[in-house]
Amino acid sequence: MLICRISILACIGAGALLCGSVAAAGRPGPAGGDGEWSMPAKDFAATRFSALADITPPKAPTLHPVWTFSTGVLGGHEGQPLVVGGVMYVVTPWPNVLYAFDLSKDGYPLKWKYRPDVSPNAIGVSCCDTVNRGAFYADGKLFYNLLDGHTVAVDAATGREVWNTRIAEVGNGETVSMAPMVVKDRVIVGASGGEFGIYGWIKGLDAKTGKVLWTARNIGPDADMLIRQDTFKPTYDNGTDLGAHSWDGETWKTGGAPVWGWVSYDPELDLIYYGTGNPSPYNPEQRAGDNKWTASVLARRPGDGALVWAYQFTPHDNWDYDATGAMILADLKVGGKDAKVLVHFDKNGFAYTLDRATGRLISAEAFAHVTWAKSVDLSTGRPVLDPDKQTGVSRGNVRGVCPSLEGGVSPASPAAFSPRTHLFYTSTNNLCMDYAAARSTHLKGTPFIGANSPYSAGPGGNLGAFIAWDAVTGKKVWENKEEFPSWSGALVTAGDVVFYGTLDGWFKSADAKTGKVLSKFKVGSGVVGNPITYRGPDGRQYVAVYAGIGGDWALLSGDVRSDDPADVRPPADFMKNIARHTSQGGMIWIFGL
Amino acid sequence: MSRALAFLLSAVVVSCGRQVGPAPPPSDPNLPPAVRNEAHIVAGTVPPHGVELTNPYNADPAVAKRGALMFTAMNCDGCHGGDASGWVGPSLSDQRWRYGGADSEVFSSIYYGRPKGMPAFGGTLGVDGVWTLVTYLRSLPVPPTVSTESWQEP
Repeated sequence: MLICRISILACIGAGALLCGSVAAAGRPGPAGGDGEWSMPAKDFAATRFSALADITPPKAPTLHPVWTFSTGVLGGHEGQPLVVGGVMYVVTPWPNVLYAFDLSKDGYPLKWKYRPDVSPNAIGVSCCDTVNRGAFYADGKLFYNLLDGHTVAVDAATGREVWNTRIAEVGNGETVSMAPMVVKDRVIVGASGGEFGIYGWIKGLDAKTGKVLWTARNIGPDADMLIRQDTFKPTYDNGTDLGAHSWDGETWKTGGAPVWGWVSYDPELDLIYYGTGNPSPYNPEQRAGDNKWTASVLARRPGDGALVWAYQFTPHDNWDYDATGAMILADLKVGGKDAKVLVHFDKNGFAYTLDRATGRLISAEAFAHVTWAKSVDLSTGRPVLDPDKQTGVSRGNVRGVCPSLEGGVSPASPAAFSPRTHLFYTSTNNLCMDYAAARSTHLKGTPFIGANSPYSAGPGGNLGAFIAWDAVTGKKVWENKEEFPSWSGALVTAGDVVFYGTLDGWFKSADAKTGKVLSKFKVGSGVVGNPITYRGPDGRQYVAVYAGIGGDWALLSGDVRSDDPADVRPPADFMKNIARHTSQGGMIWIFGL
Repeated sequence: MSRALAFLLSAVVVSCGRQVGPAPPPSDPNLPPAVRNEAHIVAGTVPPHGVELTNPYNADPAVAKRGALMFTAMNCDGCHGGDASGWVGPSLSDQRWRYGGADSEVFSSIYYGRPKGMPAFGGTLGVDGVWTLVTYLRSLPVPPTVSTESWQEP
């Protein structure tokens, strides 16, 4: 790069306004069951699989837009809408407006709109755009997070605020972009801030009142982490206070471990699963040790927050490899036997399969081009490192680290799993980086980073792809290469059709078995959100997705901006022509047959 | 009211006399009633100076060098990028300014903060520190051209 930039990572979106028509007055709505989409990932297992099957490979080529709405917001539109009881709910990036659209009426008119008071000070404390990853519907209410560190519950019938709880401190570098998970009267929430040296946590709120019932740190001493020796049984580690002793001195106090991705839940085991982000700062020489439990998956009891097991994907992370991507719960045949597993596509380029009762590693295979490690040792659970790719101030500029810190896949782009094809579907990035660490000083509420990391294309030259992955064999089944990094979530249906968007603004459907593209439509702005599907009140299957480039791309592709005459930037040198294909936006699109 | 006004006037006199900077930060209990409550001041709501601020270090290269170190040490680069070339926060080296590029305007942006997320650093850096940063930013070379054209074939 001509100019060194400090790279970051993290964060969100959603939105809504209106034109178009359709949506006939209809038959009584079959709202309920598989026709709805009430939580971010469709189900507790986070599969993003819908049993709807009207849209099939032969019919998908006729998919066309039936409705659009402009949210009036230009931030990155990550996340996804919800559809419950014939109403679509949309959360925008900051200022986090919540829209409710009546899908039973012509033109899908607004039913209500909720506009919270969200401090603009949070904008400067969000590392990577002002995204929001969506709401959760439960018990007649919508639960979601505001960027400035509040969780709200809103009455789904009226749009009135039921409660509003402050959960995070913007002044400490905490903002909130993740979508909550609601289980057993608990609203589970966490904070972003891996670029600000936060003391990362997850909280359980009372769904009825919003009261914070428990707070568990992701790093630090056992007492802070809600670890009890009788309940905490990690497979690969023993000892007490690992979250403090695996750090140099008291560096855990500013050690990051944010929660900005997704939470899943197994009702039988009564465990929630979530990933933690990078350790702070990016310069690893300021925090010797494994830095547990950053870049890890944690399994907790939702009732009291107690930690049951944890597994660290990237010990002593040198490369900003957050593990905040989705933890997908699936039942697979492993070695001929039925196994209850958790599958996770990590930023570090490996796809992991773990026993979700114990955290024991079953397999870890690279799904992207990986140079920082050669493999993962299944007996120890630890990566086999390439010593030449370790970073730190004393190592200068370390070249050719793959994947880049954007990840083999972004945690913002959750995968999908089909129990019909037994395959996982995910966007991927094909980027490498040079990594020059620098000493960083922690000043509360300001960036705590310490690395310059310019990117370049990985092998093949395409910057992204959408793939189908067999988690049992650890192999790619098919791949659709994309010119630009792929940043959209995945959706797969019982019609054996997968849906995804691209950074240059195409929304595509493809055959789940072969990857053959069945339809594509240019939605006006790059897609960094996650498609959903639902059965409308008219009885038909629809697919909805946001358009609105942003998230990390608000930083990395500055020339797609048009909204600020005081900030004009040249194109990113690894991606010179993205602005030829897309610009900022904020639209909801609905497609039908 | 008249007491507050008298205080304001005396503050102005003191400022002029010392040639250093603006009124003290809003937490100061001696501030006039209109700005006494911090909750009434959001980032970017800049109280009137009463005087034109002048940079005491006007283009001093040694101070600019100190300001460059401070720009990194205070994590300004974490948002505005290395060399102030822009990142999540805007570029400060392209000669385009959201809130004005005069010394006094850049001073106010750093001292009081700005509404789209720029924190107020006046309390942390003090008047002298802010002027040091202003001197650094104003020392950055004016680019020969600023890229403003639409995408072109390479």
